[in-house]
Amino acid sequence: MPRDRVYKCLNPTGIQEPVDVEPLAPRLDRLDGKNILISAQEADPVIMPALVERLKSDFPKVNWRVKDSHETSSISMTPEEMETTDAVIQGVAW
Amino acid sequence: MLHQTALSSGVPQIRYVDAPRFGPGAQRVNAFIEPMLKCLTDPLTDEEKHKGRYVPPAQKRVLFEGTLQEAQAFYQQTKPILLTGRAPIARYTDGLPIIVPTQELVEEMLAGTSHKPDEVIALQSDRGGQDSSSRPTGVMSGGVERIRPKGTVVQFTPMNWTATVEKVAINAVMAGCKPEYLPVVLAIAESGCTTATTTHWSQWVCVSGPISKEIGQNIGTGMLDCGNPANSTIGRTYQLMAINLGGAIPGVNRMNAIGSPFNRGGMCFAENLDGLPKGWKGLNEEMGYRKDESVAMIVCEPAVCCQGSQFAPSAYRGLQGRGYGGMAARLGVEGKEGPHNWMEYLIPGLWSNRADTPMTFLMAPRMAQDLKDYGFNSKQEVLDWLWKKSFIPVKEYRKYGWYDAKTSGGIGIQQTSGKRWKDLPDDYMVPALGQKAFDNCIIVGGGPDEVCLELGGRGFFSGIYPVYSIDAWR
Repeated sequence: MPRDRVYKCLNPTGIQEPVDVEPLAPRLDRLDGKNILISAQEADPVIMPALVERLKSDFPKVNWRVKDSHETSSISMTPEEMETTDAVIQGVAW
Repeated sequence: MLHQTALSSGVPQIRYVDAPRFGPGAQRVNAFIEPMLKCLTDPLTDEEKHKGRYVPPAQKRVLFEGTLQEAQAFYQQTKPILLTGRAPIARYTDGLPIIVPTQELVEEMLAGTSHKPDEVIALQSDRGGQDSSSRPTGVMSGGVERIRPKGTVVQFTPMNWTATVEKVAINAVMAGCKPEYLPVVLAIAESGCTTATTTHWSQWVCVSGPISKEIGQNIGTGMLDCGNPANSTIGRTYQLMAINLGGAIPGVNRMNAIGSPFNRGGMCFAENLDGLPKGWKGLNEEMGYRKDESVAMIVCEPAVCCQGSQFAPSAYRGLQGRGYGGMAARLGVEGKEGPHNWMEYLIPGLWSNRADTPMTFLMAPRMAQDLKDYGFNSKQEVLDWLWKKSFIPVKEYRKYGWYDAKTSGGIGIQQTSGKRWKDLPDDYMVPALGQKAFDNCIIVGGGPDEVCLELGGRGFFSGIYPVYSIDAWR
């Protein structure tokens, strides 16, 4: 191949497809009285219990619900949880 | 990675806080609890309220124009990455020079398949496992197989990008492949080329079927070593596709803490189907395909990069020939001629601190024949025997470092009992080599010497790493 020839070289990178974007869920006007789900995927066995303990102590009027998993896949919420949960805190760890 | 996952999930503005990885729990919580709570209560910005469709900028098909020397420099560009010690990390390559993917070379490469260049990579078959009638294939994500039906568009992790046949061909050119290798590379692409995270995930590919002879794969002496164009370049494509099609960059979104030597240059090999003892099936038939069909098994496993050399070949011959030496003493067959079940010798230590970690035994044809002569009429019979040997009391299993991860902290269902792990009595016996015998694997190949290596098995967290049809991509 001649050294000075100009070549068209192709792009090896993957393709970002268009994505339908959803707005974030409405924020809470206050914490007290709300149902907040703490969901821990691939849970860190140190930080998540400490977080739950602290939240329950600092915010006793919140209904804290904990859904724990040690798996790498996401935790699904049940239809009932979707209906009755005001906010979610999702922990991601490995 | 977080931003990209959020985008591909349709919530690019998701609020998050970082949490420290080390230290006492209460101290770590102090570091992020306030900003975390603000995430729940601070009003949404206009951007966060946006609903619509994200359309990325159009991608250039021609990435660079210039001389070959200039192009080589362009494709080898690097960027310093903090977590690698600010070392330069390649953007488009595995760190080695590549064949520049000129338009002409990519066109030549595309002659290796009947598929159109603009066809999007999607799953080609519903056959993927041992029981082909009931088990669909899947794609790999984070080292775990996700079952998906035929036709599912493949997303390459971690960026969840897609690819066309031409994109795969570009990477095959860069790796140095010949056009006749392309169907194998396309089958590998079907896996999504996951790289997973943290522990030393090793990615490797085993080809099983007639195509290995057609393209000249080394199935004998040094089959994992250097020197064979097909094995070397096809293995390299996995890593180039992970980098380019999946966007996996060490220290950015590919967080293999130490990494694996298998991944530096890529690892592909093929099974020696002619070396199988009579009656033993190849990987292709084991996984639901016919003997005349070719498949690629893609494994991304964190368990065993490669271990072996537990005995000298001469010691093995002493065992089988006249019951001589240390192996014979351990097996209690001193003075007795073989065949002896040499796998018994491997057992101590196989699962000593690797509970529930299945293995692949890559064994030389001579050693497979000895197992057959001993009385194992199939690979499955060997695996069943080994798996049954691996049962340990659940009291011991709970002491392993993968216990929580593999049992969902004890609330998952243990397969042989149908009960939750945490509810099992201490003396209940559970397998330490995978949840089923078939999580483990036997591949026959290598030279005429007496050597066996162990790699990670074809199952790890759940299910079995899938195989992909190569013939579907011819």
